[in-house]
Amino acid sequence: MAELLVFAVFFSAYAFTRASHVELFNTYQLSLDTDAALINTLALITSSYFVMRAVAAIREEKSKQCIHWLLAALLMGFVFLMVKSGEYAHHYQQGINLRTNLFYMFYLSLTFFHFMHVIMGMVILAAVAVKAKQGHYSASEHTGVETGASYWHMVDLVWLILFPLVYVMR
Amino acid sequence: MNNPATINRRYPLRPCTMVYILLVSLTLITWQLCRMGVSGLDFALLVLVFALIKGALIGDYYMALRGIGSLWRWTIMIWLLIIGLLITLAFVTAA
Repeated sequence: MAELLVFAVFFSAYAFTRASHVELFNTYQLSLDTDAALINTLALITSSYFVMRAVAAIREEKSKQCIHWLLAALLMGFVFLMVKSGEYAHHYQQGINLRTNLFYMFYLSLTFFHFMHVIMGMVILAAVAVKAKQGHYSASEHTGVETGASYWHMVDLVWLILFPLVYVMR
Repeated sequence: MNNPATINRRYPLRPCTMVYILLVSLTLITWQLCRMGVSGLDFALLVLVFALIKGALIGDYYMALRGIGSLWRWTIMIWLLIIGLLITLAFVTAA
């Protein structure tokens, strides 16, 4: 809930700042790698799908399947982190940082804040997978799986707005 | 509550798999339009609508909040609505 509010403020700040600097934002937005953003969007959508299947599996008392789906979701999370890190490395090589201009200040802050949430989500999913492996969850008691899944879906939800707003809309 | 991940014999795919295909399709359309160099207010708002639809699908089907009218469902929907309105206002102002 708090995270959603913070991201809402971030998105609004980005959009209204852009309104005063349309040319700057449109120019530098073109320098972003939309192919990398597509791969990351697909990775998060796919990971969310896997997490949902993990919840469905534990509801059917299929603990092993639940763990497999969670591991598949974690793999997609790693894909996201690798691709995003590659983008950051590219920007770093070009000497781009928070002080380069307003657009990059927003782009780097927003995406890095989300990046940290992906890492947090992966830690939670990994902890849930370990607990599932230890037999802590069943069809009747799997609150931990559902809570971890909700956090991960929230991370996905935020990216689904961030992707078009920062990479596409101009 | 119907679980979207449960197989429904009337359809060949689970509801969540159909939603997944829809999410991927909307994403690919957005990316393809971007690659074609489409821009402007109409395009921006179309892409925003796609994003809001995807967000609502995540809430309703992936979080399985559909049909239960819970506080969480309304929180997600109102969040999407407010984000959509604010971004629309900012882009209309800039146009």
